[in-house]
Amino acid sequence: MADYIKFVDVTKCDGCRACMVACKNWNDLPAQPEEFTGSIQSHNTLTANTWNVITYDEQVTANGNFEWLFRHKSCHHCGEAFCEKACPETAISHTKFGSVVVDADKCVGCGYCVNNCQFGVIQLATYVDDKGKEYRKAQKCDLCTGRLEEGLRPACVTSCHTNCLVYDEKEKVLAEAEKRLAKIKERFPNANIYNPPGIKGTTTVYLLADKPTVYGLPEDPKVALSQIVWKDYAQPLGKMMLGATTMAVIGAAISTAINKGKGEHEGGQDHE
Amino acid sequence: MSNEKTPKTIKRFNKGFIVAHWVNAIAFFTLYISALPMYTEFFDWLYVVFGGPAGARLVHRIAAVAFMLPLFIMIIFDFKGFKNWMKNIFSWKKHDLMFFPQFLREFFGLKAKVPKQDFFNAGEKINSWLMIVTTLMLISSGLVMWFPAFFPSAVLWWAYPIHNIGLGLAVAVAVGHIYMSLVTARPSMRGITKGDVTEEYAKDHHGRWYDELQEEKQQRKQA
Ligand code: SF4
Ligand code: SF4
Ligand code: SF4
Repeated sequence: MADYIKFVDVTKCDGCRACMVACKNWNDLPAQPEEFTGSIQSHNTLTANTWNVITYDEQVTANGNFEWLFRHKSCHHCGEAFCEKACPETAISHTKFGSVVVDADKCVGCGYCVNNCQFGVIQLATYVDDKGKEYRKAQKCDLCTGRLEEGLRPACVTSCHTNCLVYDEKEKVLAEAEKRLAKIKERFPNANIYNPPGIKGTTTVYLLADKPTVYGLPEDPKVALSQIVWKDYAQPLGKMMLGATTMAVIGAAISTAINKGKGEHEGGQDHE
Repeated sequence: MSNEKTPKTIKRFNKGFIVAHWVNAIAFFTLYISALPMYTEFFDWLYVVFGGPAGARLVHRIAAVAFMLPLFIMIIFDFKGFKNWMKNIFSWKKHDLMFFPQFLREFFGLKAKVPKQDFFNAGEKINSWLMIVTTLMLISSGLVMWFPAFFPSAVLWWAYPIHNIGLGLAVAVAVGHIYMSLVTARPSMRGITKGDVTEEYAKDHHGRWYDELQEEKQQRKQA
């Protein structure tokens, strides 16, 4: 199976928000009205029940004009996903589609993933069970993995009327992206394809009209040193240490018993 | 020492020190148990015990507060004991270093001649240091994880591995400490429960402290 990706060409977005509606609709997510905060952007940011948001960034162009920078903000489906690494319950995993998904049965709502996603994507939803007890689950865009399994495209993609969102073969999409980038360079000199190699690329790739930081994205996200120390050293070492401690205690007990036994034959007085 | 005659037992720890020790021990154990199901699926049944992950989190946070108290308990209720502890763990002399090779022999049941030790022997000094360091690691990183909104992401990201490493070290220290107190130095248990130890134990295990006490007594007699 060829690799497929979701591609977001923000320069084609007209801010219609059809993808937001389609996502809520398909995933049965409750509407989350927010206070008007003076921005025409509908929601401040992603939440556990709002898996994509069109962000509106105001910008002054080189010739003094004003324009909106739109971006369909949702999970990047990182090749090396911080959320997945952070999860102590292995509730987050990659599917064969390259999407990063949360297993709600395994999730205990600890929020480790929330604090470790560099893109501020994954969030906790609070539920109440039959007994009235509250519990939390991490939720985010799953690239409509359920639809992919049926051979359908993500709901947001099918709803997009400007072709800003596409879902297609990776090679093909990326080649077209390069062509498009060359074309828009004149109008957007800082335009770039956002597919960070530091995290082994992403399954949702962006063509951005300006530098990533303009959109509040890290310029060059990498697997953080803290993550490497944690996953590759601390955890195996921790297990080893526990093992070593146990072995030392057992070893000491055995050798003490043996040596004490000898001592007794020599007429030992030490019985305790 | 109010008792002028040779006493059978010697006062070792004050109430403040003892309470601080056990608050620390119980809090640590509770923290450990309430975190355990997060580390391996094998302990998932513990979630049930705590009434779900949310319950485990609540217990963990309550115990976390208790875990921060011992230092204050010690300072407020037994400042003398605290000072003595600090003085001891900062003092490293030849008899401290000589302790380890001899102790290892003893630990594995061989003949050993451990040099006379201070109020805290070199092993207890090391244990104290490891405990202080791991406790600081756990508390500082734990607070960051508890209140993530107040810290920059780089700090937040480091908090997780530090909490994890702190836990691994702390458990090793705790296991060593418990093993030691139960197996090799049983009479010391009396010191940290009732507060006193037999004179014989003091002489055998904390010779330099015992000598100091004798000297003091001598001086008081002369005065
Ligand atoms: S963007 Fe965040 S939530 Fe999405 S895969 Fe990457 S780390 Fe996980
Ligand atoms: S909140 Fe859930 S998915 Fe996120 S790290 Fe915790 S267990 Fe894993
Ligand atoms: S891929 Fe699916 S889940 Fe993700 S934003 Fe689009 S519609 Fe929502």
